[in-house]
Amino acid sequence: MMTGFGATVARAGRRLLSSLPALFGVLVFTFLLMRVLPGDPAVFFASGPNAGKEEIEQIRKQMGLDKSVPEQLVFYLSDIGRGNLGRSMMTGQPVLKDLRERLPASLELTFTALLIALIAAVPLGVVAALKPGSLVDHGVRLFCALGVCVPTFVSGLLLIYVFYYLLGLAPDPTGRIDVFTSLPPQRTGFLSIDFLLAGDIEGWWAACKQLILPAVSMALFVIAPLARITRASMLVSLGSDFVRTARSVGLSWQKVVVTYALRNAILPVITIAGIVFSTMLGANVLVEKVFSWPGVASYALDALLSSDYAPVQGFVLLMASLFVMVNLVVDICYGIADPRVSIG
Amino acid sequence: MRFVSFRPASCVLATAALLLVAAAPSQAQTRAETLRYVTGASVNTLDPNIPGSTRESFALSMSTYDRLVAFGRKQLNGKWVFDLDKITGELAESYDVSPDGLKLTFRLRKDAKFQDGSSVTAEDVKWSLDRCVTAPILGKAQLLTGSLTSADQFKVIDPLTIEVTLPKPDKLALPNLATVYPLIINSKVAKEHATADDPWATAWLKEHTAGSGAYVIESFKPGEQVIIKRNEDWNRGSPGKPAFFKRVIVQSVPEPATRANLVERGDADLVVDLQASDVQSLEAKGKLKVISTPQYNSITFVSMNNQIPPFDNVNVRRAVAFALPYEDMFKAALFGRGAPLFGANWPDGKPLNGIYPFQAPVKTDLDKAREYLKAAGLPEGFSTTFSFNVGQASTAEPMAALVKESLAKIGIKVDIQKLPDAQMSTQINEKKLPLFTEGIVAWLPSTDYFYRNFYTGNQRWNYSSINNPELATIAQEARFEPDKAKYEEDGRKLNAIHFSEMPQIPLWQPNQDAVMASSIEGYTYEFHRQVDYRDVSRK
Repeated sequence: MMTGFGATVARAGRRLLSSLPALFGVLVFTFLLMRVLPGDPAVFFASGPNAGKEEIEQIRKQMGLDKSVPEQLVFYLSDIGRGNLGRSMMTGQPVLKDLRERLPASLELTFTALLIALIAAVPLGVVAALKPGSLVDHGVRLFCALGVCVPTFVSGLLLIYVFYYLLGLAPDPTGRIDVFTSLPPQRTGFLSIDFLLAGDIEGWWAACKQLILPAVSMALFVIAPLARITRASMLVSLGSDFVRTARSVGLSWQKVVVTYALRNAILPVITIAGIVFSTMLGANVLVEKVFSWPGVASYALDALLSSDYAPVQGFVLLMASLFVMVNLVVDICYGIADPRVSIG
Repeated sequence: MRFVSFRPASCVLATAALLLVAAAPSQAQTRAETLRYVTGASVNTLDPNIPGSTRESFALSMSTYDRLVAFGRKQLNGKWVFDLDKITGELAESYDVSPDGLKLTFRLRKDAKFQDGSSVTAEDVKWSLDRCVTAPILGKAQLLTGSLTSADQFKVIDPLTIEVTLPKPDKLALPNLATVYPLIINSKVAKEHATADDPWATAWLKEHTAGSGAYVIESFKPGEQVIIKRNEDWNRGSPGKPAFFKRVIVQSVPEPATRANLVERGDADLVVDLQASDVQSLEAKGKLKVISTPQYNSITFVSMNNQIPPFDNVNVRRAVAFALPYEDMFKAALFGRGAPLFGANWPDGKPLNGIYPFQAPVKTDLDKAREYLKAAGLPEGFSTTFSFNVGQASTAEPMAALVKESLAKIGIKVDIQKLPDAQMSTQINEKKLPLFTEGIVAWLPSTDYFYRNFYTGNQRWNYSSINNPELATIAQEARFEPDKAKYEEDGRKLNAIHFSEMPQIPLWQPNQDAVMASSIEGYTYEFHRQVDYRDVSRK
């Protein structure tokens, strides 16, 4: 067991090292892409009622855009080396600070959504696979189709309309916490954890209430791929020899389905969950906008619209690093779910 | 990987059902004394002078800082709006203008204190005004429009008196001191944070305030929310009283439909940037107070680049002016919420007055448009693009479709171009767009100011790139014209040139639709087009 664990760590380390060149590539590519895009951030930000040429030049200088592109790249890389991601024109804050404040919000939302999705999708997929072609199977298919068809912002607005506007059950959809609630001391940045650490149950409940609607509207969208994959791989697994053998030796239903079939079927689900997680983190911009969630995706979108280079570059770098991390975690999960993988 | 726990999330799920029965308890006691204002934009700096600062930052600074003087307010069609002609003291107890108009003398209030308790002195005022005209900040370009350009113009007479000298009797000098930028800073505090590179403490003031205003910053989260609390010592509004609300929460809610829901449910008190369709339905329901003021210092128009063929031909511009589907656009884009600048009747073909913006005698008349196109030598029409920026899509998108449809009828083929905001401003700055829609606003809306800034020179705000020497000369002369009758005559001339040259086509002045809880009173349309939190109170 110990050697298996050691092998996993070593493999993780190798994977991490081999991803560094890719990260560097992303860094340079994003940098160049931002400069190729039409749209001059200096002109955009110099839009006070009297801003003229002088103001534009000044902002250009402030953003370092008065230098040539290769020079800018060198400055940018040396800044990154020192852990400085630049300053956002939009919020006036260092990008690192913005991202550090906003990333926990996005992560908290995405984790919750993914968890809700998994809790809903895996049983749905299993149930559908146990009785393929039955009414239950069709019901699951219909539910999944609906979830995918309705864009997240539509389901988000619908949920708000029903639970906040009509029924008044949900709190107002404005960010992570009610404006009148005081915040707990920041430890992890995850409000639901920080409130618990501070022992403030009322605050914790307030934070959870804010989280439910956006998490559900995000989860609805990703239940479909997860449930479909679970169903497909459960079907393969249930039809395989070992399950037949297990059944024939008279193992309990639960043992057959959960221990043998599901454990073998879960690998592709983990892969998909990893991909879904990375996509959700970047693509939940619509949910963040609808629920005024102060996350990284809406931050990056606003920055992109105003050609604010530093935040966009910082965001892409962050996403790339997270993607590497998620792949790593998926790899490790593989090893746990299927010990054979650690040989590779 | 960060530390991650799934447990709270599973609790979320377990308690999801509970949510359906538990309603949020509201904090009723402090709620009435708190103003919750929601907006699609956000505050990005505490000093509005920083290049790139947003309109919300302008509004916030009105409450955190005082200026020497402030605009009064007047009623326009039963609604309160700012009054450019009535300038009252804010930090100044009184002011004098010398008979030749070259000297402005301000006497400061004896009781005025900064938020740290120290007195406001003439030295602070001088330092602040010097900063405004010297430091590389936005105030510089603004004060220039009032002939305030150099630190030599501000002189301390005694600790409570300051004198401003002008090179010419400029009508806009005094109003300029009431705008957003020349805020009065506690110079002792600011100097402590000045550095050799940054002698005017711009970096520090971006994230801190050192003023004497009605509100103190309680918390500032750029891009999310700002909470300010009342400065109990401030008495510059109604005598002897601080501002009404104890706390003001300025919160960014990007989705307009959510803002509408919030204010309708009573969770937010005031919002000024809803979509026209939402305002209409909220008004129809009658539960909330809706105050719609035409933004009389702003104009939306369709602009043509007067230097690019075929729009360099005045007849082409006139053809477009008579081919636009004004009424339909007005309804589709604004739901009729605004003041139209088309469809006027000029009996003798001359402008009715010398005020800009003016209502022009243009209307949809396709036969006339075809005639103009023929006169331009383009009877078959031509192809062009019509651009607008993403930020204005909710109004500009329906408009663009109608423009395309209507211009097609006279043979002008239009491709619609929707540009990201930064790209649009870049293309405008480089004068590359042939036909587009934009809006302008002037803090100090006088006729000559509009013409000088938006119709002269090879600069960004001259959207139509018009180069008309006669117009430029008259506008320049009008600036220093002391005689009201002559000024009016100049205005008429300018408006006549505008109509005959048709450099761009003013469409309308959109309404500022302020939607608020029925208990909110005192809302005033301000020059910066945001809410001045000091104006409002709760019944």
